[in-house]
Amino acid sequence: MVGHYPDYNVMNLADEWDSHTKEIVKRRLGPFPGKQYLNEHEARTIWIIATHLAYDNREDILDYVVHHIDSELASEVGESQRKAGIPKGQDLIRSGLRALDNLSLKVYQKDFADAETGRQFSMLESLQKGEVMDMPGWPKPLQKELFKKVLNTIVRAYYSHPQVWSEIGYGGPAYPRGYIRVELGLTEPWEAKRNGK
Amino acid sequence: MENKDFVQHNCDHYKGHRFNDLTHRKYAGGADVCIVGAGAAGGVLAYELSRAGLKVVVIEAGPFWNPQTDFASDELSMSKLAWQETRLVAGSDPLHLGHNITGRGVGGGTVHFTGVFFRFHESDFKVRTLDGAADDWPITYQDLEPYYDKIERDIAVSGPRHFPWGAFNGPYPYPVYEPIGANSQLFRKGCEKLGIKSTVAPLAILTAPFEGRPPCINRGFCNQGCMPNAKFSTLIHHIPKAIQLGAEVLSDCTVTKIEVDRYGKVTGVLFNNQGQEYRQQARVVVVSAFVVETPRLLFNSACPQYPDGLANSSGMVGKCIMPHSSPDVYMMYPDEVRLYKGTPVQAVTQDFWETDKDRGFIRGYSLNAHGARPVAMAGGLAGKAGIWGKKLRDIMLDYNFYARVTVVGEVLPNPANSVTLSNEKDEYGLPRALVTFSYGENDNKIIAHGVSKCQEILEAAGCIDPIIVDDTAHLMGGCRMGNDPKTSVVNSFCQSHDISNLYICDASVFVTSGGGNPTETVMAIAARTSDYIIDQASKGG
Repeated sequence: MVGHYPDYNVMNLADEWDSHTKEIVKRRLGPFPGKQYLNEHEARTIWIIATHLAYDNREDILDYVVHHIDSELASEVGESQRKAGIPKGQDLIRSGLRALDNLSLKVYQKDFADAETGRQFSMLESLQKGEVMDMPGWPKPLQKELFKKVLNTIVRAYYSHPQVWSEIGYGGPAYPRGYIRVELGLTEPWEAKRNGK
Repeated sequence: MENKDFVQHNCDHYKGHRFNDLTHRKYAGGADVCIVGAGAAGGVLAYELSRAGLKVVVIEAGPFWNPQTDFASDELSMSKLAWQETRLVAGSDPLHLGHNITGRGVGGGTVHFTGVFFRFHESDFKVRTLDGAADDWPITYQDLEPYYDKIERDIAVSGPRHFPWGAFNGPYPYPVYEPIGANSQLFRKGCEKLGIKSTVAPLAILTAPFEGRPPCINRGFCNQGCMPNAKFSTLIHHIPKAIQLGAEVLSDCTVTKIEVDRYGKVTGVLFNNQGQEYRQQARVVVVSAFVVETPRLLFNSACPQYPDGLANSSGMVGKCIMPHSSPDVYMMYPDEVRLYKGTPVQAVTQDFWETDKDRGFIRGYSLNAHGARPVAMAGGLAGKAGIWGKKLRDIMLDYNFYARVTVVGEVLPNPANSVTLSNEKDEYGLPRALVTFSYGENDNKIIAHGVSKCQEILEAAGCIDPIIVDDTAHLMGGCRMGNDPKTSVVNSFCQSHDISNLYICDASVFVTSGGGNPTETVMAIAARTSDYIIDQASKGG
């Protein structure tokens, strides 16, 4: 257990939530239906990337993250915004994963997901800066956009998982009961409490 | 059929009726006014015009939400309240759109705004006269004042007894929001130490019962849609009243074109529902589709008489769009702050709103003590500040210890910042919008000043280790109002210079952006435009 709140589990509060919210949050605990967009290899690669970006390797959380990304990629809902000249999210991620594999194969003779952890990490670090040398067809801005897209999607899903909410001491859904004790130093009886406090 | 709940997923709604299809339309034979978009402006217009007895049809691209079954206390799933349809972005500072600026569905952005309810200051309407930059509005603060008063009364805005800035110093109709949460307490403490005036925010959030709606319960998910209905939105206030007064609301219907007759007047609109095209005729069309979709619809309605798009003889349609700069400053406090509790913005200062020549730039900003939930905070740190891996995880494990202040900074108009059409098409075969934006020198100076002020305030309150996340919020301009048809799109009543029965009424008519949240000004302008349309109608215009 990490964090300030080892004794807190936000899911213990779920019976206090409205049914729509409860249903949405509970679905994040799995089991998850089969993939709709990503193939097995792509899903595994995203899983590995997520371990680095979210700095976590717990299976149940990362399974949800990958499931969420898959359903987002399969959905027809728009991307809100996309830089002019950058491919659609679905294509960007699919071709980006392929390009990462090609890079890794060329430099380390292994697919990205099979490369040594430190090497995966440094490939991602270079991608963020747009400084990967061996990525033909991937100029600096495109590399950066790929990294941003993947990072953003992973982080938004990761911080939507109730186990992560528990660790960081987030109160989570709060309807219908709301909060009475909002001022400095005050907490509801059911909110996360630090060890021994 | 008795109508007990207006908020349903049907596509056609009018008094006593709601239908899943468009075969029973109330005003199929034509309406007095067709309003495109049911957001902050469209809602006010629908209500005021129906109340005056006009036959009103509102056409909204998104659904007619039911807060109880459609909203949830969850960030990720509530992204659906934003306009998620892809827009292309360009420029040196490409904008984040979606949740940052706009809504989709009845209520528009009011469904997920923070409820911060500011009037603009007198100076905002005459920036050219006072500062020699941008342009003056064709109206003054005094022209809008009665409408600000009216809107605040109509929706029972809560606020302090004394508001220290601008021409209106309170009191507000409803009691001040209290108690304020830890983040706002820290903000006010820091301000006090530095001699900066601060107040509890004026909010479109109830602090006592009003028209059957309860006061706020500090749930904190204002940006995800208010479930108790304590926060105002046109979804739960103006639109249901408009329906009761005779308006028809067509939801899940996307307007694709404004039609024009051979005399150059508009005759109504074409819209799409479930792949089928329909026509709504009207004597007057009001476009209230916000800063991106309004210009896009005017461009996509180009016809032989108006080859550059409707209302665009000036060439100003889509020009001079302005977001607010909106950098967030996070700092750690030794004790828990818990940014998730209560409505996001509870305390503000406008001490830096007005031009102060000593600072080396014109105009200014507001500072809002601003709560944040995990997805917004981690998403900002990652997506905008590029923080990930162990560093992000460590910061987020201390989530409960962070305080946050957000700058809402004025951005000056620049014709290069624009909405145009791209080469990419949407599902209706219409070109997607291309939104181009770059900050100017003055804008960047405001940001730098605002960010350092946030740090000073939180530091004075006992916080350390600032993390700065660049962002923008809101969007204004693109069809600005003015007296000169050569340099503006609409007159001071939002009537287009080129086509007398075409109005554009939403944030796109703003001439400058002001240094604070714009929704109240959008609604005041809509109320004023309503009076003008009613007056014109009574004269047979």
